[in-house]
Amino acid sequence: MSYKERSTWISLAILIYIWLEYFLALFSLNANSQLTVETVNSLLLAVVIKTIVLEILLQITIAIIDNKDADYSADERDILISLRGSRYAYGILSVGALLTVLYTVFPTLSTLAIFPSKELLAIDLPNEYKVMHFIIIFALVAEIAKFSTQLFFYRRGF
Amino acid sequence: MTKTITNNIRRLRFDHDEMTQKALADLVGVSRQTVVAIEKGKYSPSLEVAFKIAEIFEISISEVFQYVEQ
Repeated sequence: MSYKERSTWISLAILIYIWLEYFLALFSLNANSQLTVETVNSLLLAVVIKTIVLEILLQITIAIIDNKDADYSADERDILISLRGSRYAYGILSVGALLTVLYTVFPTLSTLAIFPSKELLAIDLPNEYKVMHFIIIFALVAEIAKFSTQLFFYRRGF
Repeated sequence: MTKTITNNIRRLRFDHDEMTQKALADLVGVSRQTVVAIEKGKYSPSLEVAFKIAEIFEISISEVFQYVEQ
């Protein structure tokens, strides 16, 4: 497994772990009627801090383990794989942006199945926070698609 | 009939004092995994990388890569 592939696995694991924890906390607080704008803001701050700390720690760890390749910069195949991943992510993000605009302009459309989560729409937060969570979910799905695509091409060959 | 790109890199490495994939990768300026992917025919390199490989083995590019019917 190349250094780049290992690094992508780490980023994907961190992304899923941190945001899963965030949404579990969000729905748990909502179920206990403890959800406020302030608690959401602190959860988001925690996400940012945890992401930075975990990325730094784990990337340093794999750089120590794989020290021969740690200073290696992306070659043409890495760049192509990265671009392929970004293309899928862009498509998902574009759809997400369109749906978010539709939801903002026509809130009644939110009953359609294409919207992320009925639980999310039911949370007790101002509308702008719901819109923000739509964007977060689509960005999250886009990132997961990007990393997964990259890992697929690293495994299968490109 | 579909055509595909094949290569003789594995044999050429063997003929050059059993050059390792890592050594070739370092000379070309790509990762070892990229050399592995090229050797297996899973990745077709850019012309620049193809020329570099040919230059390292001191042969023409067509002696390294062939465009043949499957």
